[in-house]
Amino acid sequence: MNIHEYQAKRILRQYGIVIPKGMIAYTPTEAKKAATKVSFRGPWVLKAQIQSGARNKGYFLEKKAGRKGGIRLIKSRREIAVEAEKMLGATLVTVQTGPKGKQVGRVYVEAYNKVKKNFYASLVIDRTLPAITLLVADTNNEDITTLAISAPEKILRLPLDLITGASSEQIQKVIDFLHLSPKVFKNMETFVNGMHQAFVDYDAVMIEVNPVGVTAAGQIIALDAKMSFDNNALYRHKDISMLQDEYEEEDRELKAAKYGFQYSEFDGNIGCIVNGDGIALAAMDLIRTKGNNGTACFLNVKGGVDKDKIAAGIKIIMTNPRVEGILINILGGFLRCNLIADGIVAAASEVGLNVPLVVRFEGTNKDEAKDILEHSKLPIIIAEDMEDSVDKLIEAMEESD
Amino acid sequence: MSILVNKASKVLIQGITGTQASFHVKRSIDYGTNVVAGVTPGKGGITHLGVPVFDSAIEAVKETGANASVMFVPAKFVKDAVREAAEAELDLCVCIADGVPIKDMLEIKEMLRGAKTKLIGPNTPGIITPGEARLGIFPENIHHPGRIGVVSRSSTLTYEAVIETTRAGLGQSTVIGLGDDMLIGIDFVETLEKFMTDPDTDAVVLIGQLGGTYEEEVAKYYKNLKVKKPVIGFVAGNAVPFGHKMGYAGEVITKGHVTAQDKQDAMHDSGMITVNKINNIHIELMKLFPQNA
Repeated sequence: MNIHEYQAKRILRQYGIVIPKGMIAYTPTEAKKAATKVSFRGPWVLKAQIQSGARNKGYFLEKKAGRKGGIRLIKSRREIAVEAEKMLGATLVTVQTGPKGKQVGRVYVEAYNKVKKNFYASLVIDRTLPAITLLVADTNNEDITTLAISAPEKILRLPLDLITGASSEQIQKVIDFLHLSPKVFKNMETFVNGMHQAFVDYDAVMIEVNPVGVTAAGQIIALDAKMSFDNNALYRHKDISMLQDEYEEEDRELKAAKYGFQYSEFDGNIGCIVNGDGIALAAMDLIRTKGNNGTACFLNVKGGVDKDKIAAGIKIIMTNPRVEGILINILGGFLRCNLIADGIVAAASEVGLNVPLVVRFEGTNKDEAKDILEHSKLPIIIAEDMEDSVDKLIEAMEESD
Repeated sequence: MSILVNKASKVLIQGITGTQASFHVKRSIDYGTNVVAGVTPGKGGITHLGVPVFDSAIEAVKETGANASVMFVPAKFVKDAVREAAEAELDLCVCIADGVPIKDMLEIKEMLRGAKTKLIGPNTPGIITPGEARLGIFPENIHHPGRIGVVSRSSTLTYEAVIETTRAGLGQSTVIGLGDDMLIGIDFVETLEKFMTDPDTDAVVLIGQLGGTYEEEVAKYYKNLKVKKPVIGFVAGNAVPFGHKMGYAGEVITKGHVTAQDKQDAMHDSGMITVNKINNIHIELMKLFPQNA
């Protein structure tokens, strides 16, 4: 789960990290008021709050929003409301949002901070170690992902101790790597270990501050902030769960999550129901090798589900307008195939079946499952293995064209 | 023979009294698995599925000599269950639950560093030595005793790989699901090391997937092996757009774009036989063992 920049900054501030003075605004009038409160003379930075990076390099779909990106430097107070008006309600497209973009529902009004230097910092989990790992780079306006490919040596990677965070030696390494003055040591320590403690306390999976600013006085300021949390640990962070911006999640994704399923959308035409990540990947791979077909979405029902949940899951797939055919591949271990069959029948009888549906069962209770489908008299095609299921579905889709 | 578990393994079930546990443990017992005890805190003293139930793993081990466990505990209790398994000095514990928080896994990995206990999982169907022992939730009907080792990160693709060995007229020595999560217990390298020295395994099917660097590591290990048994490899995830649901930092940590194809190439370069479709595994197996086809 992700949160907005201003929410991430509020969390980081609790850990002693310096952030620019800022306020959130939902209307142009609020933005104007906020500007007065955060800085008397300005300048200000007006930031579209959507959960995406590279907002500065993004563009708006609507003309009224103007040609500038989602982060705007504003010099006069008059302009605040004008620019806020342009951005609010408009759709911001970035390299991370995809071409559909995301609608801006709120803007963050911040005091502009003059800095001497910018750098990139993030905490992620390096699963090979495994350890929470600090990544630092002197980006010089270069894109961090480009740098990761073209010059990985320009990124410093330091695995941190889970309990104690960064050691003094590690902080010194960061300072030397960035060619900063030794006088920033204390501030750097507060910054890095503040991020680390927030990461551990909140079960984060990623904290990214890009850029971090260093002022002439040696202050270290988080000019941006992104935090992602471990969905499996949200049960112990009610305060974070409450920040979930339902608007940011695809509607179907959210519905699926309510049943404990995982749902992802792509731009193809086949809806897949599977019971594991691996089989989802393998099914997508196979679909791509067959003609002009691709995966529209997959629903991973995981294990331990009941008939009603499965029916609900199938309905989620059926309501995706891209779906021209449904492929169900279930390898029952924990999950019993007969439950899936019951769910398919329940969903199909309720919402009707207007696209071809191919089912392939293997494993626990597969024969019972096949019986259920055969007795249902529904036009369901049963396949023998994964490749056979893809072939049969594509054949049926071509016939129904 | 086999790796990690066989009919001599004395199996303890952590969280034995739950509904799902009862369903699968009964099947494991019917399969011939030597289940000797169960643990459910507060229910010590009762008998469930014909085996004695204890309050703690240490007590169960003392009374029954159990040396491996399967955990049917919910994700939020996995950390405590692994700690118990380690304190009871079990050789192996298998964690079925999915949804274990990453921080808990970081702590578990720390806990198990240098410990006697090996962890399989979490989010795994477990480990099965066909005809001898089933520790987990595998559909037993697809497995047959034989001489092919199978290891996969994904549960469902483990089953696919097993079905492929059957199509080639072959059975399995031991089948292991390493687990679908970001952080897991034993990995491909540890598993392959065991298969390479197991006198009853002739070849291995290894199924990787997008994410992490487990496949690159096992390729490096295999490349440097002096004596190699054949390994047939497949990596799932080529059709997934890169960076799907991942932030920038996710890309940075894997040093740029690592695709399923990159992983498969690394495996191929190491001398493994790689296939582009999972359903082609049986074809390669038939080439290796034509007499069985």
